[in-house]
Amino acid sequence: MTLFLANIGLGLLWAVLTGLFSPPNLAIGFVLGYLMLWMVRGVLGPSRYYNTVPRLFEFAGYFLWELILANGRLAVDVLTPAHRMRPRVIALPLVVREEGEITLLANLISLTPGSLTLDVSEDHRFLYIHAMYASDPEAVRRSIQDGLERRILELMHGSERNPDRVH
Amino acid sequence: MGQVVSAVLLALGAFFSLVAAIGVLRFPDLFLRMHCSAKSATLGVSCIMLGAAVHFGDLISYTKAVAAIVFLLISAPVATHVLARAAFYAGVPLWKGTLGDELSGHYDKGGPEFGAPGAADGAEGAREPGTGSRPPA
Amino acid sequence: MEAKGIPTVFTEILSGILVVAVVLAFIRLARGPSLPDRAVALDLVATIVIGLIGVYAVMTSEARFLDLAVVLALIAFLGTVAFARFIAKGGLPWDRS
Repeated sequence: MTLFLANIGLGLLWAVLTGLFSPPNLAIGFVLGYLMLWMVRGVLGPSRYYNTVPRLFEFAGYFLWELILANGRLAVDVLTPAHRMRPRVIALPLVVREEGEITLLANLISLTPGSLTLDVSEDHRFLYIHAMYASDPEAVRRSIQDGLERRILELMHGSERNPDRVH
Repeated sequence: MGQVVSAVLLALGAFFSLVAAIGVLRFPDLFLRMHCSAKSATLGVSCIMLGAAVHFGDLISYTKAVAAIVFLLISAPVATHVLARAAFYAGVPLWKGTLGDELSGHYDKGGPEFGAPGAADGAEGAREPGTGSRPPA
Repeated sequence: MEAKGIPTVFTEILSGILVVAVVLAFIRLARGPSLPDRAVALDLVATIVIGLIGVYAVMTSEARFLDLAVVLALIAFLGTVAFARFIAKGGLPWDRS
């Protein structure tokens, strides 16, 4: 948390020194501040912050890429005359357990084209999704489990498993 | 340069909004239509807001645009989920091309007592695979 | 009235595309066999209107219109949730099938 504030401070400092408060410049300042903190990590001691930021960016990048890719496919399907979708309602066994993680996963599934969250089972063990291209339901389950769900687990637990107290 | 980026983002946004509208008009059942309205429209409008922010280029515009995008990204899946769930349990018919339905069998039992999700597949997936025509309703 | 850098013709064409999208959504609104279909169409109209406001802001070079987009992004969500609530509570008799 301290490191995060320090990083923001460094970003602002960059904006002040260059005299340009435009958002792209602030983003550049933030990245430069992160690199600076990363270079002096030996002095400041290890922290989970160094892992969290790249993971967050990787997650955001992955999600955006999926969003654009699948929207393109959806657009092709909408604009060509034939209906090529093979919809199916699928039960997806959940690996994530906490409420917040399930909420995040459900919302992200709804946002990635090709799948739509319908319901969560009472015991929070299954997520019911309406998938658009599901001639093979196993493939859909696998792609969500290996893609979004694994990344959410990494993002949430990867950072909780090595907290600040590592030496 | 910035104006070119802005123009491209605006054009992409308008394109995806139009795709969403066409999809909502021509897809055969409610849930497929929701796929369109939830995703293409959200992406399209997000692109437009980002394009507007790039066009103005000042901090206030970026903040407003990002706020609008974040609201959209939070509210669109929630609204879609709530509506889809309500519609499913209200008995809105699935397209006859739907290959399988693993949810409706478990709702009436009221309990989560079932085994592997694959087991439900054979029992519930008996709906005939469609050929792409609209349902009579 | 002129947008710096982006020709007004361009933004006018984009508004035209978005208006066509709103009209298509309205056709679904009028046609939609069930109430949830109409709710989806209304939600889509609201979302596209947010985009229309964004394009209009660029067209007039008036950054204040973006406030409207933010407000509408919040309001549109409430309407859809209210519809979902109505349907979950039973809805109108002819929508129960």
